[in-house]
Amino acid sequence: MNSGYYAACTGLMSRISSLETIANNLANVSTAGFRGRHNIFSSVLASASNAPLSVVNQDANDYGVLSATRLDSSQGALEKTGNDLDLAIEGPGYFAVQTSTGTAYARGGNFRVSAQHQLITSAGDPVMGDNGPITVVGAPVSISADGTISVQGAITGKLKLVDFAPLVEMQSSGGGYYTVAAGVVPIATTSSVRQGMLESSNVNPVTSVVELITAQREVETMRRVLTMFNSEMDKTAAQDLPHVG
Amino acid sequence: MFRALYTAASGMTAQQLNLDNIANNLANSSTAGFQQRRLQFSDLLYQNEIMPGSAATQQTTVAAGLQIGLGTRPAATEVIQTQGAFSTTSNPFDVAVQGAGFFQILLPNGQTGYTRAGSFHPDAQGAIVTADGNPLQPAVTIPADAISVTIGSDGTVSVTQPGQTQASQVGTIQTALFVNPGGLNSVGNNTYLATTASGEPVIGTPGGAEGLGTLQQGMLEQSNVSVVDQFVQMILAQRSYESNSRVVKAADEMLQQLNQLAQ
Repeated sequence: MNSGYYAACTGLMSRISSLETIANNLANVSTAGFRGRHNIFSSVLASASNAPLSVVNQDANDYGVLSATRLDSSQGALEKTGNDLDLAIEGPGYFAVQTSTGTAYARGGNFRVSAQHQLITSAGDPVMGDNGPITVVGAPVSISADGTISVQGAITGKLKLVDFAPLVEMQSSGGGYYTVAAGVVPIATTSSVRQGMLESSNVNPVTSVVELITAQREVETMRRVLTMFNSEMDKTAAQDLPHVG
Repeated sequence: MFRALYTAASGMTAQQLNLDNIANNLANSSTAGFQQRRLQFSDLLYQNEIMPGSAATQQTTVAAGLQIGLGTRPAATEVIQTQGAFSTTSNPFDVAVQGAGFFQILLPNGQTGYTRAGSFHPDAQGAIVTADGNPLQPAVTIPADAISVTIGSDGTVSVTQPGQTQASQVGTIQTALFVNPGGLNSVGNNTYLATTASGEPVIGTPGGAEGLGTLQQGMLEQSNVSVVDQFVQMILAQRSYESNSRVVKAADEMLQQLNQLAQ
């Protein structure tokens, strides 16, 4: 069978799965603290084999697949809400959150104070300070740009802010949380906290719709290629060739 | 493939709810003491097709994982705490809070409600009550023969009675402060109830350094709904709904292409 047939087939499948990432980005265009993910396509042979490929091999067998999705770490717009416990980050950093499955990182959100007077996220997980969970008793709470929390002028803790090296791969785990692989160590932060604000989703609807149209048209192209193999070439081989001569 | 359809559907449902919330904000843009709500969304779970850091070959690992998100869900409607504009009414029982405090009122079921709407009236017994007849807490009673009523910025209520030159104090209006007022529970009639999300109220006399606000007599706080902002939000909701429906259409057309393959 023609190897091009399979190349078009994997191409078609990869474009179809790329739509799922685009759909998720567009669905979360209003989610505060959300960071979109980008599709990364790569060729099967190049990633599977360390051996250098011949030119013919590359051309004929190098199928395109959707190999990864990468977190878009650009800054979202900051929107004012006026609530003292709505926190956003300006810069590349994250807040550290203690979840039941380990440390997660968040870009901010509607934090609140639990019945045990701990600062928690809207999902109920404690937000970490430099010395563990933060206790907040009383109101009003003011939080400075470096994350120092004070209640009526008395300092009660400091939010733990972390940055990651630019090439560290962040995973999305839903609910506005992100995680890193075990063993990745955060670096010193250059970010600042903004109180009474929420970061809007960093999804750009324009780019997303363009990606959507591209995926759609590429599916069409691949389909045409497949049809060509199916109807034109195979037909020629199976029906017309026996009649030659 | 079909995940994209459901993902887009979750976005459309969320935006529909967003529009419901915007409609309520706009409907209350003239309600004194009303505070707008903002719908918060949260991203759903992710499916890990390829875990980042998993082995690509014996020597190498994949740099980035392949994660597919499954859409969005509405997570909360948060009460927005910005100050509404003041309008002068010259009614001595209209009081506005400048700052973060809430008035406390006793609801018919015995619970304490919290409100920013300070359009009070004296009832037949002289007790200061809301427009719905719920008494202010702690109760303040105005004597029947009072000529004038003064409410100070620190909540002191004093009256002048016939034959007296000095005003006499009849009570104090206290305000309540929440650590997370965005988590208050709206029960209609401009009334909120405390929740575990809002935290326990800090109650005190206004005017101090505790951030309980100051009171302004003869004024009413207008709704903090910004009509322009809500229209912008409405357009955003509408367009996001549209782009999500565009995804549904794209997914449908891709399926169509696949079906054509089999012909």
